[in-house]
Amino acid sequence: MKAGRPIRAYAITWAALLLLLALTFGLAHLKLGAFNPVASLVIAAVKAALVALFFMHLRRARALLVLFALVAPFALAILFALSGADYATREVHPAPWVAPRGE
Amino acid sequence: MSASSREIDAGGRGEPDRHARGDVDPRAWREETASLGMWVFLATELMFFGGLFLAYLYLRTHDPEGVAAASTHTHEWLGTINTAILLTSSFAMALAVHAAKDARRKAAQRLLVVTAAFGLAFLVVKGIEYGMEWRDGLVPGLRFTLAENTRTATLFFFLYFVATGIHAVHLAIGVATVLWIAWRLRAAALPGWRVDEIDVLGLYWHFVDAVWIFLYPLFYLVNLNA
Amino acid sequence: MSYLEEGFTLRSWLTTRDHKRIGILYALAITVFFFLGGAAAAIIRLELLTPQGDLVSADTYNKLFTIHGVVMVWFFLIPSIPSTLGNFLLPMMIGAREVAFPRLNIISWYIYVLGATFTVGAVIAGGVDTGWTFYTPLSTLFSNTHVVAAVMGVFIVGFSSILTGLNFIVTVHRMRAPGMTWFRMPLFVWANYATSLILVLATPVLAMTLLLLAAERLLHVGIFDPALGGDPLLFQHLFWFYSHPAVYIMVLPAMGVASEIITCFARKRIFGYKFMCYAILGIAGFGFLVWGHHMFVSGQSAYAGMVFSMLSFMVAVPSAIKVFNWTATLYKGSIEFTAPMLYALGFVGLFTIGGMTGLYLAAIALDVHLTDTYFVIAHFHYIMVGGSVMAYLGGIHFWWPKITGRLYSEAWGRVGAITIFAGFNLTFFPQYLLGFLGMPRRYHSYPPEFQLLNILSSAGAAVLAVGYLLPLIYLGWSLFLGKRASPNPWQARGLEWKTASPPPKENFHETPEVDAVPYAYNPEEKLA
Repeated sequence: MKAGRPIRAYAITWAALLLLLALTFGLAHLKLGAFNPVASLVIAAVKAALVALFFMHLRRARALLVLFALVAPFALAILFALSGADYATREVHPAPWVAPRGE
Repeated sequence: MSASSREIDAGGRGEPDRHARGDVDPRAWREETASLGMWVFLATELMFFGGLFLAYLYLRTHDPEGVAAASTHTHEWLGTINTAILLTSSFAMALAVHAAKDARRKAAQRLLVVTAAFGLAFLVVKGIEYGMEWRDGLVPGLRFTLAENTRTATLFFFLYFVATGIHAVHLAIGVATVLWIAWRLRAAALPGWRVDEIDVLGLYWHFVDAVWIFLYPLFYLVNLNA
Repeated sequence: MSYLEEGFTLRSWLTTRDHKRIGILYALAITVFFFLGGAAAAIIRLELLTPQGDLVSADTYNKLFTIHGVVMVWFFLIPSIPSTLGNFLLPMMIGAREVAFPRLNIISWYIYVLGATFTVGAVIAGGVDTGWTFYTPLSTLFSNTHVVAAVMGVFIVGFSSILTGLNFIVTVHRMRAPGMTWFRMPLFVWANYATSLILVLATPVLAMTLLLLAAERLLHVGIFDPALGGDPLLFQHLFWFYSHPAVYIMVLPAMGVASEIITCFARKRIFGYKFMCYAILGIAGFGFLVWGHHMFVSGQSAYAGMVFSMLSFMVAVPSAIKVFNWTATLYKGSIEFTAPMLYALGFVGLFTIGGMTGLYLAAIALDVHLTDTYFVIAHFHYIMVGGSVMAYLGGIHFWWPKITGRLYSEAWGRVGAITIFAGFNLTFFPQYLLGFLGMPRRYHSYPPEFQLLNILSSAGAAVLAVGYLLPLIYLGWSLFLGKRASPNPWQARGLEWKTASPPPKENFHETPEVDAVPYAYNPEEKLA
C-alpha cells in the first residue's frame, strides 16, 4: 500500500486550508465594501470543498456519493432562494410604536 | 407462477447487479454501504443547520449595519485560532483514517487521540469565549446588557449562541466517540468493520469542521475593517 | 418456523432487530394514536352539531383541534405506511433479508415512543391550544399551554422519521437481490424510497424550527417578533418548508400501495410503469418548491406568492399522471372487487377530488376567500383520510395474509370499506360547501345557517367511526380464528408473495434471483 501519496495530499490540503484562513482573515480587515461578505463566503466554500474532496474522499468517490453530498446544499439553496424571493420583494411598514432600527 | 406470465426481459436496463455474479468484495461492499449511510446522515445534519443560516440571512439582509456593529463584540482572534485548531484536527483525523485502512493500528490510535485533543482544545477556547461573553453581558434572554443597537444585537448573539452551541455539542459528541474508538483500538485485532467505523467517524468529524468553516466568517469576520 | 414463532416473550419483541417485528411494533403504536386523534375529532364533531359553543369551552376546543392535528400528522400519518408496511415489506420486495441498519430501526421505534410520551404528557398536563401549526406569536408569546413539551415531543419523533428514511435509502441502494434493477422494483418500493428522500431532507428543518420556537418562547429574544427585529414569517417559511413536503410523505406511500393493489386486482400490468417512477420522483422533488402556498394571506410578498402559485399548479401534474395511469391500468382489466381493491379504488377517486380542490387553493385569488375556512379542511382530509388512510387500510388488508398468516373475512372487509367510504364522504363533502359559504376553521361556534351541513358532517363522522372500528374487530378475530393463508392467496406478483405466509425470519430460504419485469399479470388469468 503506497502510504506516502495520500499523506502528501492531506498535508497539502491542510496547508492550503490554513493559507485560505489567513487570506480570509486578512481580507476581512480591508475595506472592500460589498465584496467583503462575498469574499469571505467564497473562501469558506473553497475551504469546505477542499475538506469534502480530499479529507472526505469525494474526489475519488462514486458518482452516487457525490450526488448525495450535493443534494442537501441544493435543498438549502431552494430554501434560501424562495424565502429570499419573499424577503426581497416584500415591503416593510413598521408599526408606529416600533422604535426605528439602531435602538 | 405459470410460464405464460413470467417473462424474461432483455436485461441490460438499469445497473447490472454485481452481487449475482459474486464479484462483489464483501469488505468493499460494507465500507461503501457505511459511507453511504453516513453521507445521508450528514445531509440531514446540514439541513438541520440550514434553518439557522436562513435566520442569519434574514437578519443580515434586514439590518446589515446592526449585524456589523453587533459582531464587533465577538473575539475574532480566538475565533481564528479555533478555526486553525479545527482544520488541524481534520488533518489529524484524515491521517488516522488512513492509518486504520493501512492496518497501522497503533498509529491510528495515536492520531485519533491527537484529533480528540485538538477538538478538546477548540471546546476549551470556545468555553473561554462564552465566559467572556457572559461577563460582558452578551447572552440574550439570560444576561444581555448592551444598551445600543439592542434589538439586532440580541438577535445576532441569539443566533451566535444557538449556532456555535449546537456546533459545540456536535463536536463534543465527536470527541467522545473518537476517544471511545481509540480506547477500543487497544485490543490487538483491527477487524474490517472497525476500520469502517473509523472511516465514517472521519466523515462526521470533517462535516463538523465544514460547518465551522461557514460559521466563522458569518460571526467573526463581519466588520473588522471599521 | 415463521418470524412470529422466533420467540414469544415480550422481551423478544422489545429487543428485536427483525424489520417485520418492528413494522408490527409501529403498527400497534400508531393504532393507539389513531384512536386518540380520532377521539379528539369525535368531540369536535359533537360540539359542532350545534351553532353555539356549548359542549366545551373555546379554550378546550382549541386544545382538541390542536391535539387532533399533532397526533394525526406526526404520530399517525407520517409513520403509518412507511414505518409499518414499509418496514415489513420493503426488504422483502427487493429480495433482501433485512434493512441496511437493523439496530437503527429498533432505535427509531423507541425514539417514536419517547416522543409520543412527551406529547401525551403535554396532553395530560392540560394540552396545547396553538393549532398543529404552532404559529407565532400565539405559540411564543400568548399561549398559556404546554407548548414546549408538545414541541419537544414532535422534535423527538422527527428523529424516528429521519432514521427510517435513512435506513430505506441505503437499503434500496445497496441490498437489492441479484437481477433486481431499479426498473424492476415494485412501485411500493419506489414510493417509499422517494418518501425517504423527503424524510431525511425536510424533517431536520422542522427540528430546527421547533428548537427556535422553544427558545423564543423561553427567552423572548424576538427572532419571530417584528417589534424586536424578527419576523413571524421566518417561522412560517421554516415550518412550511418541512410541512409541505410532509404531506407528500403522507401521500406517496399511499400511492405506492394503490399501485400494488390495483395492478393485482385488475390482473393487469401497471400502465406506464416508468412514468409512474418518474412521477413519484417528480412529486417528491417538486413538493419542495411550493410551501409558500400556505402563506398567501400571511403577509408574504405578492410576487413570491405568484411564484409559489405557479409552482403549486405544476406539482399537480405528476399526481395527475399517476391517476391517469391507474385508470388506464383498470381499462380492459379483469377487475375483482376485493376489500383491498375497494380501498384502492376509493383512494383514487377521493385523492383526485382532494387534489383538484388543491388547485382551487393554489389560485391566489380563490385562496383569499377560501383560506382558513372549512374548504381547506375538506381538501386536506380528502387527501389524508380519503387518500392516505384508505390506502393504508387497503394495504393492511392486502398484506394481512402475508404478515399474519391468516385470512380475514372478505365479506366484513367489504362492509368495512364501503362503510368508511360512505361515512367519509358524508363527513367531508359538506365541509367543502361550508368552507365555500364562509365558515371559518378552528371556531367552536358558527352562524346558525351552517347547522344543517354541520349535522350531516357529524353524522358522517359517526358512520366513519363505526367503519374504523369494524376492521379492529374482524382483523383481530382473524388473528385467532381466521383460516390459515397460503403463500400467495391473491395470486399476486412480487417477491414477497414467493415466500411463506407468515415469512421466515430471514424472509427467503434462498436469495431470490429476479429476471422478470414487474407486474407480469395477465387479465386472462382470473383470480381463483
